[in-house]
Amino acid sequence: MGVPAFFRWLSRKYPSIIVHCVEEKGRECNGVRIPVDTTKANPNEVEFDNLYLDMNGIIHPCTHPEDKPAPKNEDEMMVAIFEYIDRLFNIVRPRRVLYMAIDGVAPRAKMNQQRSRRFRASKEGMELTEEKTRMREEVIQRGGYLPPEEIKERFDSNCITPGTEFMDNLARCLRYYVADRLSNDPGWRNITVFLSDASVPGEGEHKIMDYIRRQRAQPNHDPNTHHCLCGADADLIMLGLATHEPNFTIIREEFKPNKPRPCALCGQMGHEIKECQGVAREKRGQHDEFADAMPVSEQEFIFIRLCVLREYLARELTMASLPFPFDFERSIDDWVFMCFFVGNDFLPHLPSLEIREGAIDRLVRIYKDVVHKTGGYLTENGFVNLARVEMIMQAVGVAEDNIFKKRREDDESFKRRMKEKRQRMKREQQGPAYLTGGQFAPHALGRGLQPDAVENARHQAYGMRMQSNRDAAQSLKAMMRNGGGGNFPGPSDDGNSRGVKRKADSDDEPEPEDNVRLWEDGWKQRYYKTKFDVDVSDEGFKQKVVQSYVEGLCWVLRYYYQGCASWKWYFPFHYAPFASDFQDIQGMFSDFERGTKPFKPLEQLMGVFPAASGNFLPETWRNLMMSPDSSIIDFYPDDFAIDLNGKKYAWQGVALLPFVDERRLRAALADVYPDLTSEEVRRNSLGSDLVFVGKSHPLSDFIQELYRAQCHEPTEVPAELCHGIQGILSLDDDPILPDKTVSSPIPMLRDIGQNSAIGVKFKDPQFAEGFVFKAVLLPGAKLPTNVLKPEDWDRRENQPWRPQLGFNPNRQQAHLDQSGFRALGHSLRNQHGGQYSNAPPPNNYQQQGNYRSPRTGHHQAFQHSRSGGQLGTPPSFHHQPHFPRHQQQQQQQGYHGRGGGAHGWDRAMQSQRAAYQHSANRGGGPGPGPSGYQQRFHQQRSDWREQRDERGQQYQAHSSSNRGGYPAPPPSRRYVWK
Amino acid sequence: MSVSDVNDFIRQNRAVADQVEAFRGHWESDKHWVPRREFILRNMNDFEGELHMDQLLSLSMVWANNVFLGCRYSTELLDKVKQMAEGIEVEDAPVFKTRDEIVKQQQGR
Repeated sequence: MGVPAFFRWLSRKYPSIIVHCVEEKGRECNGVRIPVDTTKANPNEVEFDNLYLDMNGIIHPCTHPEDKPAPKNEDEMMVAIFEYIDRLFNIVRPRRVLYMAIDGVAPRAKMNQQRSRRFRASKEGMELTEEKTRMREEVIQRGGYLPPEEIKERFDSNCITPGTEFMDNLARCLRYYVADRLSNDPGWRNITVFLSDASVPGEGEHKIMDYIRRQRAQPNHDPNTHHCLCGADADLIMLGLATHEPNFTIIREEFKPNKPRPCALCGQMGHEIKECQGVAREKRGQHDEFADAMPVSEQEFIFIRLCVLREYLARELTMASLPFPFDFERSIDDWVFMCFFVGNDFLPHLPSLEIREGAIDRLVRIYKDVVHKTGGYLTENGFVNLARVEMIMQAVGVAEDNIFKKRREDDESFKRRMKEKRQRMKREQQGPAYLTGGQFAPHALGRGLQPDAVENARHQAYGMRMQSNRDAAQSLKAMMRNGGGGNFPGPSDDGNSRGVKRKADSDDEPEPEDNVRLWEDGWKQRYYKTKFDVDVSDEGFKQKVVQSYVEGLCWVLRYYYQGCASWKWYFPFHYAPFASDFQDIQGMFSDFERGTKPFKPLEQLMGVFPAASGNFLPETWRNLMMSPDSSIIDFYPDDFAIDLNGKKYAWQGVALLPFVDERRLRAALADVYPDLTSEEVRRNSLGSDLVFVGKSHPLSDFIQELYRAQCHEPTEVPAELCHGIQGILSLDDDPILPDKTVSSPIPMLRDIGQNSAIGVKFKDPQFAEGFVFKAVLLPGAKLPTNVLKPEDWDRRENQPWRPQLGFNPNRQQAHLDQSGFRALGHSLRNQHGGQYSNAPPPNNYQQQGNYRSPRTGHHQAFQHSRSGGQLGTPPSFHHQPHFPRHQQQQQQQGYHGRGGGAHGWDRAMQSQRAAYQHSANRGGGPGPGPSGYQQRFHQQRSDWREQRDERGQQYQAHSSSNRGGYPAPPPSRRYVWK
Repeated sequence: MSVSDVNDFIRQNRAVADQVEAFRGHWESDKHWVPRREFILRNMNDFEGELHMDQLLSLSMVWANNVFLGCRYSTELLDKVKQMAEGIEVEDAPVFKTRDEIVKQQQGR
């Protein structure tokens, strides 16, 4: 689902579904990389059986990354993909199956979206190149420096579409990769690897679903298989729920908004291409040793536990006193179905349902209301009950008017808040902090004007001091509210802001034009007029739109639960109707046309590419995209309208591209089919899934026997050899066989001389036409233990609830014992120049050279007790002196410069040290420890105040900057800002 | 050929009219289809045979996409279809901003 907001909404509403991945990193020893042993137990304290990779989510970031320089050539891209898979394999450590699925030809329903993406991508790519050239010239004319332009062709991301040479090459590389890992990586030894490349029709995630669905439906399937699906699309969550497998986890990259990106021109961070100055690169580190180190952290992964989501949903959806028995599994299916209203890849979302506005909550509310009247669920096994859906739609329709009005209000107030925020930012940036204002403001001399004599200096100084306090309090508040606006009526600001406001109005960005004005009466009429260019009274047309949408809902749900019902169906409009238009929909849909066939890869390329990407097609085919005499030239406009639809940027709007006429496309291609070379014919043909196993896998001998016998009959997989997995095997024409060298398709990688992998064609288990896959929990499936705090816990139990932080409910909390803290404190002291350490390290005595035995020096002991008295008030955080703010800031900088950033455990250490300090003082007995300590104390006394101050500062830095998304752990001793 | 002429023609040539009616896109409202139908009927005689018919359909779509959807094609092509469509009356054609225009406008800001 191309709705990034969906995942954000989900993870905010149901936070416990997310578990951060623990990743064991490979170590390096004397320059030799030691790979991680993935046969060891999974550090995430869970064992996964199957790992599924939706490869397109991997291919895109590896070929044109957004946060680092692009790979130089295709070979580097392939290696990047291999490394990415390795990384995932290391985190997930599947024990049975690795399934890699690349998007093949998609159903027609997806074509509109693909077209719009590719037409845009092509234009965006060209614009970027143009801008680069322009800026490059400008920068060089100004005398700036830019690294010489690399001799590489712009990578057209459009080549990541089935049927291109790139995809073909990728498939070959992946076969090599699988053979290599199966032969050489012990973690892969017993894994069954499936590879479904772009020549197999279907979107990647749906091929995976098909596999799972068909395995579930055969009797040998293990109902307690733990699945892990990799991919960032929100619809994977829906798909996972739709399987009704109890153990299903999704792994994806952690979403971090506003990640810094390098400038496209000079590759440096910190500015966009528009602001590129062509400044020489700064040296990083003393000897430029961090030159290639990105200042951003490596992308981390998170797990999304669908079993926890199911727990949440059970709470939300469970209904008592229904006229029919409540079935949680069915209500999940209904929930998934309702999420489609809010957005999916195949239908535009209903205008009144915006995920940001809590559309799903609203739908659930309505659903629970209506379900009492409907007498049953909305869906069953992926088939929709339209009469019941109509009741939901009508209930949404009633609220539509208010939704639009509310949206307008929210928009306005959001804009107002943003404006206020901008003003605040502007004010804050008005000048450096040391510039004084009022009568202390700097004056230029020598212009004949004498500055006035300073009057009432004390009073104004007081005012300024108070002002800076107020400012500080204000910015702190602002930070705590996470930047989300708030009004701070500072007395001195007020007059100021009124003046600024009017000015800011003028430099406001112009509002996007909106002729529909959904918040004003007559919105329906205007919507139909503007979006469909029809009169609202044209009931026939409206019916057509509604009917198509109803078909669409049925198609999408079927797609998720049963597989592709029709390769031909698509939604032939750019916009959705209103919820209130769904009237009498019951008879609008019966069934889809049977026996439809997917496009061939090259045909689909013709359907989704703009003429500018024609280079991926044979010449005569390309000609059809360009020639004015072509009989399909209307599919390829040079430029197209974009309806911003209330949004701000072109990429957010609706691309008004013409729909493809399938009949005419096929007819036009019939003429040029003979022009294909044999290579292109091969690329254009439908391929097959492949399965690979290593030598020690029980299936290996079986497959080898098939090859030896030259058995051309399709053969069933014996279920007992492969964890109950079934399917049909047939011989590959150019197979990977043990002891046959697999030549490397990438020059920088070696051939596999000692190959022990074997590969064969694989086909999912087949079922009779009309077979319905049941959306139920399988018998024998054990539900995982609950994670969420039971709702009646507080009533029932006296102990506090301990939340579960990972997969393992009995997770061992890591903690350090006393000696551990001492050891840590020791190394910490060295790191921080000893300033923070109170533990007396042995080597300190020699270094300082003034060690005296406490037994000989009574004076020393005396001194100690005195100092102990002072130390009775260690640098606790209650004792924060009221330092002027600016001084603290300076020290903060100083601290960061020296310490290289504070860490959580670093702080924990301080509390521990404070405890140590106490006991050391209380024990007080003569001994080398206290004495050493005391010397250190002497040494430190002079900067004691500063140090205390610094610690307070450290807290502040933490609570305010909050980097990396972790809230700062609470300080060990409560520290109260005054 | 005015609107009434078209209607006359359709009445007199039922078979041809039915054939042309099959070319109507699912998304086309009467407002969009009637002028395109006229476009096809007017130029039919110049495009005989099935493949040529497809070419005519394509040109009719180029014209309709340009007028009703805001698509731009090469000047050569647009000139050609405009010529072919001469005399077809379209009332109250919608106005669009193409992607290039939006991007240019936003860059200028």
